[in-house]
Amino acid sequence: MPEIRLVVIDPTGLHARPAARFVQAASRFASRIVIRQAGREADAKSLSGLLGLTLRPATEITVAAEGPDAADALAALTRELSPYVSAAVVDAEAPA
Amino acid sequence: MSLVLISHSRAIGEGLRDMVAQVAGPDVRVAVAAGTEDGRLGTSAPLITEAIRWALADGPAGPVEGALVLLDLGSAALSLDLALEELSDAERARTRVSEAPLVEGAVLAAVQASVGASLDDAFAAAADAASMTKIPRN
Repeated sequence: MPEIRLVVIDPTGLHARPAARFVQAASRFASRIVIRQAGREADAKSLSGLLGLTLRPATEITVAAEGPDAADALAALTRELSPYVSAAVVDAEAPA
Repeated sequence: MSLVLISHSRAIGEGLRDMVAQVAGPDVRVAVAAGTEDGRLGTSAPLITEAIRWALADGPAGPVEGALVLLDLGSAALSLDLALEELSDAERARTRVSEAPLVEGAVLAAVQASVGASLDDAFAAAADAASMTKIPRN
């Protein structure tokens, strides 16, 4: 399951509007997409799941995708979130 | 699908419509029936009927599947019952009433609507509001 690691850089955390943009972008892909943070996992296509993570500034998150368009989805979602997060690790194959 | 927001307060209804448009985008149709005809606190069956009919009307993109109705306090359900009685069977069949809290339910359902969700999917998204975490426990 390809994944990317990102860090929330918005000084106020991830708020409703960017979270909604993220859900809208994720919904364009067939792949199953999840966001993981500190052992919790949320469906990236569900705003209630994403807001329920309450992502604070400097939090590291992992976005993982599984399906036919997983790589495209991760690239698009990284772009969508770019004002609010930065890449922690871009290479999905990198050792943890 | 489209949304119908029922509140006792016009300010709440209109403010929530603005919030929904900013979070979910401008393409989700949101009807508001909030306050009484003369602007007092309360709900009005005729205004609710009118809002549901507007929500169900064909849009520029074609027919609307249905309308999801959300309300602020249970007493609005009394006006809503009267409003539903005014609708035709066909209109009622395309109208679903949600038990979800108004603000959270509206935002969650509207984001699903913005990605083309069905009325049933939007209803389910709104229902998630009841169990959504607001204050993190970590």
